[in-house]
Amino acid sequence: MLIYISRRLLWTPVLLFVAGLFIFSLGSVAPGDPAELMAGQRADPEAIARIRDRLGLDDPFLVQYTRYAANALKGDFGESYRYRGRDVIELLGPKLLVSLELNIVSYVVTLLIGLPLGFWAAMRQGTWKDPTMTTFMLLVYALPVFFTAPFLILVFALWLDWIPVSGWSGMFSTHAILPAFTIGVPGAFVFMRYMRASTLDVLGQEYVRTAHGKGMGHMTVNRRHIARNALLPIVTILGFSLAGLFGGSLIVELIYGIPGVSRLALEAVFQRDYPVLTTLTLLGATMLAIANLVADIMYSLIDPRIRLRA
Amino acid sequence: MRYVRRLMIAGLAVAVMFAIGCSADEPTPVPPTATSVPEPTATQVPTKAPEVQRTSSGVAPTATAIAAATSTAVAEATASAGEQATVVAEETATAASQAVEDVDDREFDARRGGVFRLLGSDPVTFDPALTTDSTSYDITLQLFSGLTRLTDDPNNPIVTDLAESFTVSSDGTVYRFVLREGLVFSDGSPLTAFDFKWSWERAALPETGSPIVKEFLGDIVGINDIVEGNATSAEGITVIDDLTLEVKIDSPKPYFIAKLTYPVTFVVNRDNVESGGETWTEAPIGSGPFVLKSYEIGVSMVLARNDNYWDTPAFLDEVHFILAGGSAMAMYENEEIHVTGIPSASYERVTDPNEQLSQEVVDVPAEFVTYYIGFNVEQAPFDDVHFRRALNYAVDKELIAEAVLNNRAKPAYGPIPPGFVGFNPDLEGLRFNAERAQEELAMSKYADPESLPRIVFTTPGTGGSPPTYLLAVADMWARTLGVEVEFQEVEWATFLQEIDNYRLQVFSLAWSPDYPDPHTFVDVLFRSDSSINQTQYSNAEVDALLDEATTEPDPARRVQLYQQAEQIIVNDAVWVPMWWGTEGKILVNRRVNGFRISPLGSYYLKDVWIEKQIDF
Repeated sequence: MLIYISRRLLWTPVLLFVAGLFIFSLGSVAPGDPAELMAGQRADPEAIARIRDRLGLDDPFLVQYTRYAANALKGDFGESYRYRGRDVIELLGPKLLVSLELNIVSYVVTLLIGLPLGFWAAMRQGTWKDPTMTTFMLLVYALPVFFTAPFLILVFALWLDWIPVSGWSGMFSTHAILPAFTIGVPGAFVFMRYMRASTLDVLGQEYVRTAHGKGMGHMTVNRRHIARNALLPIVTILGFSLAGLFGGSLIVELIYGIPGVSRLALEAVFQRDYPVLTTLTLLGATMLAIANLVADIMYSLIDPRIRLRA
Repeated sequence: MRYVRRLMIAGLAVAVMFAIGCSADEPTPVPPTATSVPEPTATQVPTKAPEVQRTSSGVAPTATAIAAATSTAVAEATASAGEQATVVAEETATAASQAVEDVDDREFDARRGGVFRLLGSDPVTFDPALTTDSTSYDITLQLFSGLTRLTDDPNNPIVTDLAESFTVSSDGTVYRFVLREGLVFSDGSPLTAFDFKWSWERAALPETGSPIVKEFLGDIVGINDIVEGNATSAEGITVIDDLTLEVKIDSPKPYFIAKLTYPVTFVVNRDNVESGGETWTEAPIGSGPFVLKSYEIGVSMVLARNDNYWDTPAFLDEVHFILAGGSAMAMYENEEIHVTGIPSASYERVTDPNEQLSQEVVDVPAEFVTYYIGFNVEQAPFDDVHFRRALNYAVDKELIAEAVLNNRAKPAYGPIPPGFVGFNPDLEGLRFNAERAQEELAMSKYADPESLPRIVFTTPGTGGSPPTYLLAVADMWARTLGVEVEFQEVEWATFLQEIDNYRLQVFSLAWSPDYPDPHTFVDVLFRSDSSINQTQYSNAEVDALLDEATTEPDPARRVQLYQQAEQIIVNDAVWVPMWWGTEGKILVNRRVNGFRISPLGSYYLKDVWIEKQIDF
């Protein structure tokens, strides 16, 4: 087991190096020159050449990447092209935090709605309530964010005037409510389906029948035997979704004016801000690698066959 | 100069039907096709059009700042403003403030105080020497100042600012500026002629990296030596005493004084720049009406009044720029921001007289901007003047303006827009004439459709189809001349690179001036050796006229020379000029006074004041 984990851990840096190389090489083949963008339309060619020189853009691609990777190992991810003199990490840190908060609070909404609904629907299998609720949630899931977000703004911010239209002041503020529901409610459909399937699975188990048979109250059976066992497989799914927590939710951030990482990333693309882009990609890859590792370890703990194969 | 780019980051959002970032500084869309306008990214241009995004682009934050930027903040701000001095009931505010207008003591000016909020974008830089785009331009104008500045009075576009007066030698090459007495920077330190000499030489240093210093200060003797790294001091700049600066330029150039309104010529504080290193602009010390109080990338930018400003200080306590984007119209209606452009989708509702919002609609003067279709005259088939003329004659701009753009665009027939110095009302444009178009085509070497190479028309944008009016143009070319074009839309970074390398055959763009002189349109874009002559146009006659105009001391004669050059350029059909800026509309909160947008596209925050209101 230890060997398995350490081997996985050793592979992670290699994975990151390759991922970084990939995104970096995209930068060298993509059209558009960061120096030209920085200089603006009025600049003369000499001015652009000076900027290229300062940024080291004229060095061969591998030299640039090695330099970047070496610095990154020391924790220095370079300076943004777009924001002169700003460290990428200093730039990204607060944005990542905002996106993380936004995703956590949305995730909580997803779970709080999805899991009980899934359970509720499973318990009503065979009645009209189950398909109705499933269909309704499917509709919600299918609604595009650029429809739901303005709609929620219109109703709750403009007509009812309960909450602000835009901005962000932390996950426990009123600012978080609309975005959290915009992201969270559609996501609940997925968890509702998982929970429903998992509950149905458990419902057919012998021990449920036994519990009922020995005269246990419905509520107790539901709570102790059904819900608890149905949640077990869901837990592994939760692990996987953690990787997404640092990711932005582009459209939602744009519409609600949330200063998360998406806006910055999008701008970095248009501005050819490669240090920011590369660092973001590396962070994303790291999160994924870690989430995968955690999931693998959990599986191998559960299922000895995986351990043996490794 | 600055390309107008409308779609910033938000091209995407627009596609999404949601005009996210109609930021405050931009009135209505010039040619109103919201999705694809000839303008690309956020950083690049002072946009006056609805910007989606941007880029433009704008962007990033801290939690606290954001908290301040929301609706509660509006109430709070007004409340605190109210406490400050005089509290005036809303209905009587106007009358009251007029009454106090004559009172000299500023402390009792009822207009004073308050926080003005608007959506903004992250400036590329706060360093005046590096400013080339409109977003940065608008901000540096609030934080810094120079010898002269622009006004929005067409009869008197340039006035002295930090200079009290200046004289020009009889040969037109030596300028002597006398500074106002007692000038200080925002931190209270004295500002003298030495600071100007240092600032200009610093702007020229290669390590400063100003992309435009040659354009604006290169006329001064010795500046180009500094730019090229051969000197650190310019002999053309002499400090006579603390208040007197003498500047020698290489030849008489009447437009030199106009260039001194551009940020690269502004004065910066030596201690501030030298001690701050590369990031000195995080706490810039300037001489403009405001100081930078805080800035968090992508979140917010707060300007505070500079009480050391040489002229009457600004009324506002603070200006809050919200940089995280959001839904402009909704934020405006929720009073989270005080000003916004009007997205096309809301235009009808907002301007409906029965709608309460319509009372807050404010007219914006036509911006000085020219939208055009440019031809690369070195590339077939645009190397033939007859062919280019045929394309010009074939376009019925009046019809497109009416049928496609609901008359929200003004057909253009030359580069210089109406109202701008040197505009020629008698210019003979290549107006729509289908017969002449066919005659010109017959005269060209591409008369035979078989000889016509493939034509790719490139527009900047973020994907999607080109603006409707361009599709109409292409349709007219096809119907009248049988000339078919393909469109390709590329995003701004790619577009910029392609155009700089003359790889585009035909493209759409917009140009707005940097300073009030025809030079900024005619010379910069059409002189054969200009570094931004995108069309590669070269005409010895035009060059000769431009040379003469450059040094001609008589203003009337200069204008004539530029107009002659302009007429030749129009006859040579280097462009299809499409639209000039039109009067637009923006929404300004009813309690906000004095918010104006100049035809050069910038706003004057110094004169803005907010009526106080009492919360019951």
